[in-house]
Amino acid sequence: MVAQATNCTEIGWPRPPPNLWGVLTTSAALSISGLSKTYDDGTVGLADLDLEVPAGEFFGLLGPNGAGKTTLINSVCNLIRTSGGTIDVFGHAHDSMEARRVVGVAEQDPNLDRFLTVEESLVYHGGYFGMSNADAERRAAEMIDVFDLRAKAHVRTPKLSGGMKRRLLLARALLHEPLLVILDEPTAGVDVELRHDLWRYIRRLHEEGTTILLTTHYLEEAESLCEDVALISKGRIVARDTPDGLKERFDATTLEEVYLQTVSTSLPTVMAAETAEAETP
Amino acid sequence: MSAPTAAPPRARAELSPPNPGRSLRSLALRECRRVTRLWTQTILAPVVASTLFILVFGLSLSSRIESIEGFDYDVFIVPGLIAMAMAQAAFSNNSSTILQARNDRYINDVLASPMHPWQMNLGYAVGGIFRSVAIGVALVALAIPLTGVPVDQPLALLLAVALVITLFGALGVIVGIYAQTFDHHSFINNILILPLTFLGGVFYSINILPSPWEELSHLNPLFYMVNSIRFGFLGESDVSVVLSFGVTAVITVAFVAWSQYLFSSGHKLKP
Repeated sequence: MVAQATNCTEIGWPRPPPNLWGVLTTSAALSISGLSKTYDDGTVGLADLDLEVPAGEFFGLLGPNGAGKTTLINSVCNLIRTSGGTIDVFGHAHDSMEARRVVGVAEQDPNLDRFLTVEESLVYHGGYFGMSNADAERRAAEMIDVFDLRAKAHVRTPKLSGGMKRRLLLARALLHEPLLVILDEPTAGVDVELRHDLWRYIRRLHEEGTTILLTTHYLEEAESLCEDVALISKGRIVARDTPDGLKERFDATTLEEVYLQTVSTSLPTVMAAETAEAETP
Repeated sequence: MSAPTAAPPRARAELSPPNPGRSLRSLALRECRRVTRLWTQTILAPVVASTLFILVFGLSLSSRIESIEGFDYDVFIVPGLIAMAMAQAAFSNNSSTILQARNDRYINDVLASPMHPWQMNLGYAVGGIFRSVAIGVALVALAIPLTGVPVDQPLALLLAVALVITLFGALGVIVGIYAQTFDHHSFINNILILPLTFLGGVFYSINILPSPWEELSHLNPLFYMVNSIRFGFLGESDVSVVLSFGVTAVITVAFVAWSQYLFSSGHKLKP
Protein backbone atom coordinates (compact mmCIF):
# COMPACT_ATOMS: atom_id res chain seq x y z
CA MET A 1 0.00 0.00 0.00
CA VAL A 2 2.83 2.29 0.75
CA ALA A 3 4.00 1.43 -2.72
CA GLN A 4 0.65 2.42 -4.06
CA ALA A 5 0.79 5.76 -2.37
CA THR A 6 4.29 6.29 -3.71
CA ASN A 7 3.11 5.47 -7.21
CA CYS A 8 0.39 8.06 -7.01
CA THR A 9 2.84 10.66 -5.87
CA GLU A 10 5.26 9.69 -8.60
CA ILE A 11 2.73 10.18 -11.36
CA GLY A 12 1.95 13.62 -10.05
CA TRP A 13 -1.62 13.33 -8.81
CA PRO A 14 -2.30 15.04 -5.54
CA ARG A 15 -2.74 12.84 -2.50
CA PRO A 16 -5.47 13.65 -0.03
CA PRO A 17 -4.27 15.74 2.89
CA PRO A 18 -3.11 13.53 5.80
CA ASN A 19 -5.92 14.69 8.03
CA LEU A 20 -9.14 15.64 6.29
CA TRP A 21 -11.84 17.05 8.52
CA GLY A 22 -10.65 14.84 11.38
CA VAL A 23 -10.29 11.70 9.26
CA LEU A 24 -6.89 10.07 9.38
CA THR A 25 -6.21 9.28 5.76
CA THR A 26 -3.08 7.42 6.75
CA SER A 27 -5.16 4.68 8.45
CA ALA A 28 -6.48 1.68 6.58
CA ALA A 29 -9.39 2.78 4.45
CA LEU A 30 -11.46 -0.10 5.69
CA SER A 31 -10.81 -2.38 8.61
CA ILE A 32 -13.38 -5.07 9.33
CA SER A 33 -13.11 -7.54 12.17
CA GLY A 34 -15.42 -10.44 13.02
CA LEU A 35 -18.29 -8.98 11.04
CA SER A 36 -21.44 -11.05 11.02
CA LYS A 37 -24.95 -10.46 9.84
CA THR A 38 -27.90 -12.76 10.24
CA TYR A 39 -31.16 -11.51 8.77
CA ASP A 40 -34.49 -11.78 10.59
CA ASP A 41 -35.44 -14.84 8.52
CA GLY A 42 -32.30 -16.66 9.68
CA THR A 43 -30.32 -16.16 6.48
CA VAL A 44 -26.63 -15.73 7.24
CA GLY A 45 -25.33 -12.82 5.16
CA LEU A 46 -21.88 -12.53 6.69
CA ALA A 47 -20.09 -14.98 8.96
CA ASP A 48 -17.26 -13.66 11.13
CA LEU A 49 -15.67 -11.81 8.23
CA ASP A 50 -12.30 -10.08 8.54
CA LEU A 51 -11.03 -7.71 5.89
CA GLU A 52 -8.60 -4.82 5.63
CA VAL A 53 -8.37 -2.52 2.64
CA PRO A 54 -5.38 -0.18 2.74
CA ALA A 55 -5.84 3.47 1.88
CA GLY A 56 -5.42 4.25 -1.78
CA GLU A 57 -6.00 0.70 -2.98
CA PHE A 58 -8.21 -0.45 -5.85
CA PHE A 59 -9.87 -3.42 -4.23
CA GLY A 60 -12.13 -5.97 -5.91
CA LEU A 61 -14.71 -8.08 -4.15
CA LEU A 62 -15.90 -11.03 -6.21
CA GLY A 63 -18.44 -13.70 -5.53
CA PRO A 64 -21.64 -15.26 -6.78
CA ASN A 65 -25.09 -13.83 -6.12
CA GLY A 66 -25.96 -14.20 -2.46
CA ALA A 67 -22.34 -14.55 -1.38
CA GLY A 68 -22.53 -11.49 0.85
CA LYS A 69 -21.04 -8.71 -1.31
CA THR A 70 -23.96 -6.33 -1.02
CA THR A 71 -24.49 -7.21 2.64
CA LEU A 72 -20.87 -6.26 3.27
CA ILE A 73 -21.26 -2.99 1.39
CA ASN A 74 -24.51 -2.16 3.16
CA SER A 75 -22.84 -2.87 6.49
CA VAL A 76 -20.05 -0.42 5.74
CA CYS A 77 -22.54 2.21 4.60
CA ASN A 78 -24.85 1.87 7.62
CA LEU A 79 -27.69 0.55 5.51
CA ILE A 80 -28.18 -2.61 7.53
CA ARG A 81 -27.86 -3.46 11.21
CA THR A 82 -24.95 -5.80 11.74
CA SER A 83 -25.16 -8.74 14.16
CA GLY A 84 -21.58 -8.53 15.44
CA GLY A 85 -18.06 -7.32 14.74
CA THR A 86 -16.55 -3.95 14.06
CA ILE A 87 -16.05 -1.82 10.96
CA ASP A 88 -13.62 1.09 10.91
CA VAL A 89 -13.32 3.56 8.05
CA PHE A 90 -10.04 5.47 8.10
CA GLY A 91 -9.75 4.71 11.80
CA HIS A 92 -13.28 5.77 12.73
CA ALA A 93 -16.25 3.57 13.57
CA HIS A 94 -18.29 3.17 10.40
CA ASP A 95 -21.38 4.76 11.96
CA SER A 96 -19.53 7.87 13.13
CA MET A 97 -20.06 11.15 11.32
CA GLU A 98 -16.34 11.26 10.43
CA ALA A 99 -16.55 7.90 8.67
CA ARG A 100 -19.84 8.54 6.91
CA ARG A 101 -18.74 11.78 5.33
CA VAL A 102 -15.80 10.15 3.53
CA VAL A 103 -17.67 7.19 2.05
CA GLY A 104 -19.45 7.36 -1.28
CA VAL A 105 -21.53 4.49 -2.57
CA ALA A 106 -23.10 3.71 -5.92
CA GLU A 107 -25.56 0.94 -5.26
CA GLN A 108 -26.26 -1.92 -7.60
CA ASP A 109 -29.78 -0.85 -8.59
CA PRO A 110 -30.54 2.76 -9.45
CA ASN A 111 -32.09 4.29 -6.32
CA LEU A 112 -32.74 7.80 -7.49
CA ASP A 113 -35.16 10.28 -5.98
CA ARG A 114 -38.12 10.27 -8.32
CA PHE A 115 -39.19 13.82 -7.43
CA LEU A 116 -35.89 15.48 -8.26
CA THR A 117 -34.09 16.46 -11.42
CA VAL A 118 -30.55 15.33 -12.15
CA GLU A 119 -29.11 18.60 -10.88
CA GLU A 120 -31.31 18.66 -7.78
CA SER A 121 -30.38 15.06 -6.96
CA LEU A 122 -26.73 16.04 -6.85
CA VAL A 123 -27.14 19.33 -4.98
CA TYR A 124 -29.37 17.83 -2.28
CA HIS A 125 -26.98 14.89 -1.92
CA GLY A 126 -24.16 17.37 -1.33
CA GLY A 127 -26.29 19.02 1.33
CA TYR A 128 -26.95 15.69 3.05
CA PHE A 129 -23.18 15.30 3.28
CA GLY A 130 -22.78 18.71 4.90
CA MET A 131 -21.54 20.65 1.88
CA SER A 132 -22.36 24.32 1.59
CA ASN A 133 -24.88 25.18 -1.10
CA ALA A 134 -22.19 26.92 -3.15
CA ASP A 135 -19.87 23.89 -2.95
CA ALA A 136 -22.69 21.48 -3.74
CA GLU A 137 -23.81 23.48 -6.77
CA ARG A 138 -20.25 23.81 -8.04
CA ARG A 139 -19.55 20.11 -7.62
CA ALA A 140 -22.91 19.22 -9.17
CA ALA A 141 -22.01 21.28 -12.25
CA GLU A 142 -18.63 19.52 -12.43
CA MET A 143 -20.15 16.07 -12.11
CA ILE A 144 -22.82 16.88 -14.70
CA ASP A 145 -20.07 17.79 -17.15
CA VAL A 146 -17.83 14.88 -16.21
CA PHE A 147 -20.61 12.35 -16.74
CA ASP A 148 -22.06 14.09 -19.78
CA LEU A 149 -25.41 14.76 -18.13
CA ARG A 150 -25.68 18.41 -19.15
CA ALA A 151 -28.56 17.84 -21.59
CA LYS A 152 -30.52 16.06 -18.88
CA ALA A 153 -29.63 18.35 -15.97
CA HIS A 154 -33.20 19.55 -15.53
CA VAL A 155 -34.91 16.25 -16.31
CA ARG A 156 -36.50 14.31 -13.48
CA THR A 157 -34.81 11.01 -12.76
CA PRO A 158 -37.62 8.61 -13.77
CA LYS A 159 -37.31 9.94 -17.33
CA LEU A 160 -33.65 9.00 -17.66
CA SER A 161 -32.47 5.99 -19.65
CA GLY A 162 -30.73 3.12 -17.85
CA GLY A 163 -27.29 4.34 -18.86
CA MET A 164 -28.06 7.89 -17.72
CA LYS A 165 -29.29 6.62 -14.38
CA ARG A 166 -26.07 4.66 -13.95
CA ARG A 167 -24.03 7.75 -14.68
CA LEU A 168 -26.06 9.81 -12.23
CA LEU A 169 -25.55 7.15 -9.55
CA LEU A 170 -21.81 7.41 -9.99
CA ALA A 171 -21.91 11.20 -10.09
CA ARG A 172 -23.87 11.21 -6.85
CA ALA A 173 -21.49 8.78 -5.17
CA LEU A 174 -18.52 10.97 -6.08
CA LEU A 175 -20.08 14.38 -5.52
CA HIS A 176 -18.88 14.91 -1.96
CA GLU A 177 -15.36 13.81 -2.89
CA PRO A 178 -15.27 10.67 -0.75
CA LEU A 179 -11.98 9.07 0.21
CA LEU A 180 -13.52 5.60 -0.02
CA VAL A 181 -15.73 4.95 -3.04
CA ILE A 182 -17.81 1.79 -3.05
CA LEU A 183 -19.08 0.68 -6.42
CA ASP A 184 -21.55 -2.19 -6.35
CA GLU A 185 -21.58 -3.59 -9.87
CA PRO A 186 -21.35 -0.15 -11.46
CA THR A 187 -21.22 -1.45 -15.01
CA ALA A 188 -24.05 -3.97 -14.75
CA GLY A 189 -26.42 -3.53 -17.65
CA VAL A 190 -24.51 -0.76 -19.40
CA ASP A 191 -23.24 -0.92 -22.94
CA VAL A 192 -19.64 -1.71 -23.75
CA GLU A 193 -18.75 1.85 -24.71
CA LEU A 194 -20.04 3.33 -21.48
CA ARG A 195 -18.40 0.56 -19.50
CA HIS A 196 -15.00 1.42 -20.94
CA ASP A 197 -15.60 5.11 -20.31
CA LEU A 198 -16.50 4.40 -16.72
CA TRP A 199 -13.43 2.23 -16.26
CA ARG A 200 -11.30 5.09 -17.53
CA TYR A 201 -12.88 7.50 -15.11
CA ILE A 202 -12.65 5.14 -12.15
CA ARG A 203 -8.97 4.50 -12.92
CA ARG A 204 -8.33 8.21 -12.97
CA LEU A 205 -10.13 8.61 -9.69
CA HIS A 206 -7.96 5.94 -8.16
CA GLU A 207 -4.82 7.58 -9.50
CA GLU A 208 -5.87 10.73 -7.68
CA GLY A 209 -5.64 8.77 -4.42
CA THR A 210 -9.18 7.59 -3.83
CA THR A 211 -9.64 4.13 -2.36
CA ILE A 212 -12.02 2.06 -4.49
CA LEU A 213 -13.98 -0.98 -3.44
CA LEU A 214 -15.50 -2.59 -6.50
CA THR A 215 -17.84 -5.53 -6.84
CA THR A 216 -18.48 -6.88 -10.28
CA HIS A 217 -19.54 -9.97 -12.13
CA TYR A 218 -17.25 -9.04 -15.02
CA LEU A 219 -14.09 -10.86 -13.97
CA GLU A 220 -11.99 -9.35 -16.73
CA GLU A 221 -13.01 -5.98 -15.32
CA ALA A 222 -11.69 -6.91 -11.89
CA GLU A 223 -8.54 -8.40 -13.37
CA SER A 224 -7.87 -5.28 -15.35
CA LEU A 225 -8.68 -2.70 -12.67
CA CYS A 226 -8.01 -4.15 -9.23
CA GLU A 227 -4.69 -4.33 -7.42
CA ASP A 228 -6.07 -6.67 -4.83
CA VAL A 229 -8.98 -9.09 -5.09
CA ALA A 230 -10.95 -11.00 -2.46
CA LEU A 231 -13.30 -13.84 -3.27
CA ILE A 232 -16.30 -14.12 -1.01
CA SER A 233 -18.59 -17.10 -0.56
CA LYS A 234 -21.29 -17.77 2.00
CA GLY A 235 -20.40 -14.64 3.91
CA ARG A 236 -16.69 -15.42 4.25
CA ILE A 237 -13.55 -14.34 2.42
CA VAL A 238 -12.20 -17.56 0.90
CA ALA A 239 -9.19 -16.18 -0.96
CA ARG A 240 -7.41 -12.88 -1.28
CA ASP A 241 -4.38 -11.71 -3.21
CA THR A 242 -3.36 -9.70 -6.24
CA PRO A 243 -4.91 -11.02 -9.46
CA ASP A 244 -1.52 -12.47 -10.45
CA GLY A 245 -1.02 -13.92 -6.99
CA LEU A 246 -4.40 -15.63 -7.11
CA LYS A 247 -3.73 -17.07 -10.55
CA GLU A 248 -0.38 -18.38 -9.41
CA ARG A 249 -1.78 -19.87 -6.22
CA PHE A 250 -4.62 -21.65 -8.02
CA ASP A 251 -2.54 -22.55 -11.06
CA ALA A 252 -4.93 -20.63 -13.30
CA THR A 253 -4.44 -18.51 -16.38
CA THR A 254 -7.34 -16.16 -15.71
CA LEU A 255 -9.21 -14.80 -12.73
CA GLU A 256 -12.28 -16.55 -14.07
CA GLU A 257 -10.60 -19.90 -13.51
CA VAL A 258 -9.73 -18.90 -9.98
CA TYR A 259 -13.33 -17.85 -9.46
CA LEU A 260 -14.65 -21.16 -10.74
CA GLN A 261 -12.30 -23.08 -8.48
CA THR A 262 -13.07 -21.12 -5.34
CA VAL A 263 -16.53 -19.66 -5.14
CA SER A 264 -18.56 -20.74 -8.15
CA THR A 265 -21.86 -22.42 -7.39
CA SER A 266 -22.46 -23.41 -10.99
CA LEU A 267 -23.52 -27.01 -11.55
CA PRO A 268 -20.43 -28.23 -13.48
CA THR A 269 -18.14 -26.80 -10.80
CA VAL A 270 -20.10 -28.34 -7.96
CA MET A 271 -20.22 -31.69 -9.77
CA ALA A 272 -16.48 -31.56 -10.42
CA ALA A 273 -15.82 -30.79 -6.78
CA GLU A 274 -18.08 -33.63 -5.64
CA THR A 275 -16.37 -36.03 -8.06
CA ALA A 276 -12.97 -35.01 -6.76
CA GLU A 277 -14.19 -35.46 -3.20
CA ALA A 278 -15.55 -38.94 -4.00
CA GLU A 279 -12.27 -39.95 -5.61
CA THR A 280 -10.31 -38.87 -2.58
CA PRO A 281 -9.24 -42.04 -0.68
CA MET B 1 -21.77 8.76 -25.33
CA SER B 2 -18.88 11.07 -24.82
CA ALA B 3 -16.37 9.79 -22.36
CA PRO B 4 -16.61 10.84 -18.75
CA THR B 5 -13.62 13.01 -18.23
CA ALA B 6 -11.97 13.29 -14.88
CA ALA B 7 -12.53 16.53 -13.09
CA PRO B 8 -9.45 18.71 -12.84
CA PRO B 9 -7.40 17.29 -9.99
CA ARG B 10 -7.58 19.45 -6.92
CA ALA B 11 -7.22 19.00 -3.22
CA ARG B 12 -10.37 18.10 -1.33
CA ALA B 13 -9.46 20.69 1.26
CA GLU B 14 -10.74 23.30 -1.22
CA LEU B 15 -14.22 22.35 -0.09
CA SER B 16 -15.40 24.07 3.05
CA PRO B 17 -15.59 21.72 6.06
CA PRO B 18 -18.82 19.72 6.30
CA ASN B 19 -21.47 21.22 8.54
CA PRO B 20 -24.06 18.87 10.05
CA GLY B 21 -26.60 21.70 10.15
CA ARG B 22 -26.53 21.78 6.36
CA SER B 23 -27.61 18.15 6.25
CA LEU B 24 -30.82 18.91 8.10
CA ARG B 25 -31.41 22.00 6.01
CA SER B 26 -30.93 20.05 2.80
CA LEU B 27 -33.32 17.26 3.79
CA ALA B 28 -35.92 19.77 4.97
CA LEU B 29 -35.63 21.71 1.70
CA ARG B 30 -35.93 18.50 -0.29
CA GLU B 31 -39.14 17.65 1.54
CA CYS B 32 -40.56 21.12 0.93
CA ARG B 33 -39.53 20.85 -2.73
CA ARG B 34 -41.54 17.66 -3.01
CA VAL B 35 -44.59 19.44 -1.59
CA THR B 36 -44.32 22.39 -3.97
CA ARG B 37 -43.60 20.16 -6.96
CA LEU B 38 -46.86 18.32 -6.31
CA TRP B 39 -48.74 21.42 -5.11
CA THR B 40 -52.01 20.60 -6.86
CA GLN B 41 -52.21 17.33 -4.92
CA THR B 42 -50.56 18.41 -1.71
CA ILE B 43 -52.01 21.87 -1.16
CA LEU B 44 -54.71 22.81 -3.67
CA ALA B 45 -56.82 19.65 -3.35
CA PRO B 46 -57.19 19.72 0.46
CA VAL B 47 -57.86 23.47 0.43
CA VAL B 48 -60.63 23.02 -2.16
CA ALA B 49 -62.11 20.06 -0.25
CA SER B 50 -62.18 21.90 3.08
CA THR B 51 -63.58 25.05 1.45
CA LEU B 52 -66.38 22.96 -0.02
CA PHE B 53 -67.11 21.58 3.46
CA ILE B 54 -67.34 25.14 4.79
CA LEU B 55 -69.60 26.21 1.94
CA VAL B 56 -71.81 23.12 1.76
CA PHE B 57 -72.18 22.31 5.44
CA GLY B 58 -71.67 25.74 6.91
CA LEU B 59 -73.38 28.19 4.65
CA SER B 60 -76.20 25.89 3.53
CA LEU B 61 -77.05 24.56 7.00
CA SER B 62 -76.26 27.57 9.14
CA SER B 63 -79.65 29.14 8.39
CA ARG B 64 -81.39 25.97 9.59
CA ILE B 65 -79.25 25.21 12.64
CA GLU B 66 -79.39 27.40 15.66
CA SER B 67 -76.12 28.59 17.04
CA ILE B 68 -73.84 26.11 18.82
CA GLU B 69 -72.16 27.26 22.02
CA GLY B 70 -73.14 30.81 21.05
CA PHE B 71 -71.58 30.71 17.56
CA ASP B 72 -73.19 30.50 14.13
CA TYR B 73 -72.88 27.00 12.73
CA ASP B 74 -70.62 28.01 9.84
CA VAL B 75 -68.27 29.70 12.31
CA PHE B 76 -68.38 26.76 14.71
CA ILE B 77 -67.25 24.16 12.17
CA VAL B 78 -64.35 26.15 10.69
CA PRO B 79 -61.77 25.36 13.44
CA GLY B 80 -62.50 21.63 13.29
CA LEU B 81 -62.31 21.55 9.51
CA ILE B 82 -59.02 23.39 9.51
CA ALA B 83 -57.67 21.07 12.22
CA MET B 84 -58.76 18.04 10.20
CA ALA B 85 -57.19 19.31 6.97
CA MET B 86 -53.91 20.17 8.66
CA ALA B 87 -53.71 16.91 10.59
CA GLN B 88 -54.40 14.83 7.49
CA ALA B 89 -51.87 16.78 5.46
CA ALA B 90 -49.10 16.31 8.04
CA PHE B 91 -49.85 12.60 8.30
CA SER B 92 -50.26 11.89 4.58
CA ASN B 93 -47.22 13.87 3.57
CA ASN B 94 -44.77 12.24 5.93
CA SER B 95 -46.19 8.78 5.54
CA SER B 96 -46.13 8.86 1.76
CA THR B 97 -42.72 10.51 1.39
CA ILE B 98 -41.02 7.93 3.61
CA LEU B 99 -42.89 5.00 2.10
CA GLN B 100 -41.88 6.11 -1.41
CA ALA B 101 -38.29 6.68 -0.32
CA ARG B 102 -38.21 3.19 1.21
CA ASN B 103 -39.85 1.50 -1.76
CA ASP B 104 -37.49 3.14 -4.25
CA ARG B 105 -34.61 2.86 -1.75
CA TYR B 106 -33.45 6.42 -2.24
CA ILE B 107 -33.85 6.76 1.51
CA ASN B 108 -30.43 5.05 1.55
CA ASP B 109 -28.90 8.32 0.39
CA VAL B 110 -30.11 9.86 3.66
CA LEU B 111 -29.39 6.86 5.87
CA ALA B 112 -25.79 6.63 4.61
CA SER B 113 -25.13 10.34 5.02
CA PRO B 114 -23.42 11.94 8.03
CA MET B 115 -26.73 12.95 9.54
CA HIS B 116 -27.81 12.34 13.12
CA PRO B 117 -31.02 10.33 13.59
CA TRP B 118 -32.77 13.35 15.09
CA GLN B 119 -31.85 15.35 11.99
CA MET B 120 -33.41 12.70 9.76
CA ASN B 121 -36.54 12.62 11.90
CA LEU B 122 -36.86 16.38 11.95
CA GLY B 123 -35.94 16.79 8.28
CA TYR B 124 -38.70 14.44 7.17
CA ALA B 125 -41.16 16.07 9.58
CA VAL B 126 -40.55 19.51 8.10
CA GLY B 127 -42.26 18.56 4.83
CA GLY B 128 -45.48 17.72 6.63
CA ILE B 129 -45.26 20.86 8.74
CA PHE B 130 -44.69 23.01 5.66
CA ARG B 131 -47.62 21.44 3.83
CA SER B 132 -49.94 21.74 6.84
CA VAL B 133 -49.08 25.36 7.46
CA ALA B 134 -49.61 26.21 3.79
CA ILE B 135 -53.04 24.58 3.89
CA GLY B 136 -53.91 26.18 7.24
CA VAL B 137 -52.94 29.67 6.11
CA ALA B 138 -54.92 29.29 2.88
CA LEU B 139 -57.99 28.03 4.73
CA VAL B 140 -57.87 30.80 7.31
CA ALA B 141 -57.51 33.34 4.54
CA LEU B 142 -60.61 31.89 2.85
CA ALA B 143 -62.66 31.19 5.99
CA ILE B 144 -62.41 34.65 7.53
CA PRO B 145 -64.12 36.47 4.63
CA LEU B 146 -66.54 33.56 4.04
CA THR B 147 -67.69 33.05 7.63
CA GLY B 148 -66.24 35.83 9.74
CA VAL B 149 -64.59 33.29 12.09
CA PRO B 150 -62.58 35.12 14.76
CA VAL B 151 -59.10 34.34 16.04
CA ASP B 152 -59.78 34.90 19.71
CA GLN B 153 -56.65 33.36 21.24
CA PRO B 154 -53.85 33.64 18.67
CA LEU B 155 -51.08 32.33 20.91
CA ALA B 156 -53.16 29.36 22.00
CA LEU B 157 -54.01 28.75 18.35
CA LEU B 158 -50.34 28.73 17.38
CA LEU B 159 -49.53 26.29 20.18
CA ALA B 160 -52.45 24.04 19.28
CA VAL B 161 -51.52 24.02 15.60
CA ALA B 162 -47.87 23.29 16.45
CA LEU B 163 -48.89 20.34 18.63
CA VAL B 164 -51.38 18.89 16.15
CA ILE B 165 -49.15 19.04 13.11
CA THR B 166 -46.16 17.72 15.07
CA LEU B 167 -48.28 14.87 16.39
CA PHE B 168 -49.68 13.87 13.00
CA GLY B 169 -46.35 14.47 11.30
CA ALA B 170 -44.71 12.04 13.71
CA LEU B 171 -47.55 9.54 13.21
CA GLY B 172 -46.98 9.85 9.46
CA VAL B 173 -43.28 9.11 9.90
CA ILE B 174 -44.10 6.04 12.00
CA VAL B 175 -46.65 4.71 9.51
CA GLY B 176 -44.31 5.48 6.61
CA ILE B 177 -41.62 3.37 8.26
CA TYR B 178 -43.88 0.45 9.18
CA ALA B 179 -46.10 0.38 6.08
CA GLN B 180 -45.34 -2.16 3.40
CA THR B 181 -47.79 -0.81 0.82
CA PHE B 182 -49.88 2.29 0.22
CA ASP B 183 -52.89 0.29 1.43
CA HIS B 184 -51.47 0.44 4.94
CA HIS B 185 -51.05 4.20 4.68
CA SER B 186 -54.61 4.59 3.34
CA PHE B 187 -56.00 2.27 6.00
CA ILE B 188 -54.70 4.43 8.85
CA ASN B 189 -55.92 7.59 7.17
CA ASN B 190 -59.38 6.39 6.15
CA ILE B 191 -60.23 3.95 8.93
CA LEU B 192 -58.60 5.69 11.87
CA ILE B 193 -57.85 9.38 11.44
CA LEU B 194 -60.83 10.49 9.36
CA PRO B 195 -63.59 8.79 11.45
CA LEU B 196 -62.03 9.81 14.76
CA THR B 197 -61.74 13.39 13.55
CA PHE B 198 -65.40 13.47 12.51
CA LEU B 199 -66.38 11.87 15.83
CA GLY B 200 -64.15 14.34 17.65
CA GLY B 201 -66.69 17.12 17.26
CA VAL B 202 -65.73 18.78 14.00
CA PHE B 203 -69.37 19.30 12.99
CA TYR B 204 -71.04 19.39 16.41
CA SER B 205 -70.49 20.01 20.08
CA ILE B 206 -70.36 16.78 22.05
CA ASN B 207 -72.52 18.51 24.67
CA ILE B 208 -75.53 17.88 22.45
CA LEU B 209 -74.86 14.12 22.34
CA PRO B 210 -76.94 11.81 24.54
CA SER B 211 -75.29 9.57 27.11
CA PRO B 212 -73.22 7.38 26.68
CA TRP B 213 -71.98 8.98 23.41
CA GLU B 214 -70.96 12.16 25.12
CA GLU B 215 -68.85 10.23 27.65
CA LEU B 216 -67.41 7.96 24.97
CA SER B 217 -66.33 10.99 22.97
CA HIS B 218 -63.97 11.84 25.81
CA LEU B 219 -62.02 8.66 24.98
CA ASN B 220 -61.33 9.96 21.47
CA PRO B 221 -57.91 11.67 21.50
CA LEU B 222 -58.78 13.69 18.42
CA PHE B 223 -61.62 15.31 20.34
CA TYR B 224 -59.01 17.12 22.47
CA MET B 225 -57.04 18.22 19.44
CA VAL B 226 -60.11 19.65 17.72
CA ASN B 227 -61.01 21.46 20.93
CA SER B 228 -57.51 22.88 21.34
CA ILE B 229 -57.73 24.48 17.93
CA ARG B 230 -61.34 25.53 18.45
CA PHE B 231 -60.29 27.31 21.62
CA GLY B 232 -57.64 29.20 19.67
CA PHE B 233 -60.22 30.42 17.16
CA LEU B 234 -63.34 30.88 19.28
CA GLY B 235 -62.04 31.13 22.83
CA GLU B 236 -64.46 28.32 23.75
CA SER B 237 -63.97 24.60 24.27
CA ASP B 238 -66.19 21.63 25.12
CA VAL B 239 -63.75 20.60 27.86
CA SER B 240 -61.07 22.18 30.01
CA VAL B 241 -58.48 23.92 27.87
CA VAL B 242 -55.71 22.61 30.07
CA LEU B 243 -56.98 19.07 29.59
CA SER B 244 -57.22 19.55 25.80
CA PHE B 245 -53.69 20.87 25.52
CA GLY B 246 -52.37 18.38 28.05
CA VAL B 247 -53.75 15.30 26.27
CA THR B 248 -52.58 16.62 22.89
CA ALA B 249 -49.10 17.36 24.23
CA VAL B 250 -48.71 13.94 25.87
CA ILE B 251 -49.68 12.11 22.68
CA THR B 252 -47.39 14.38 20.65
CA VAL B 253 -44.42 13.60 22.87
CA ALA B 254 -45.16 9.86 22.69
CA PHE B 255 -45.34 9.82 18.90
CA VAL B 256 -42.24 11.97 18.45
CA ALA B 257 -40.35 9.65 20.82
CA TRP B 258 -41.54 6.62 18.84
CA SER B 259 -40.50 8.07 15.49
CA GLN B 260 -37.14 9.08 16.96
CA TYR B 261 -36.63 5.55 18.26
CA LEU B 262 -37.20 4.19 14.74
CA PHE B 263 -34.51 6.43 13.27
CA SER B 264 -32.09 5.88 16.14
CA SER B 265 -32.39 2.11 16.17
CA GLY B 266 -32.88 1.60 12.44
CA HIS B 267 -35.81 -0.66 13.30
CA LYS B 268 -37.81 -1.31 10.10
CA LEU B 269 -35.58 1.13 8.21
CA LYS B 270 -32.55 -1.12 8.03
CA PRO B 271 -32.79 -4.90 7.63
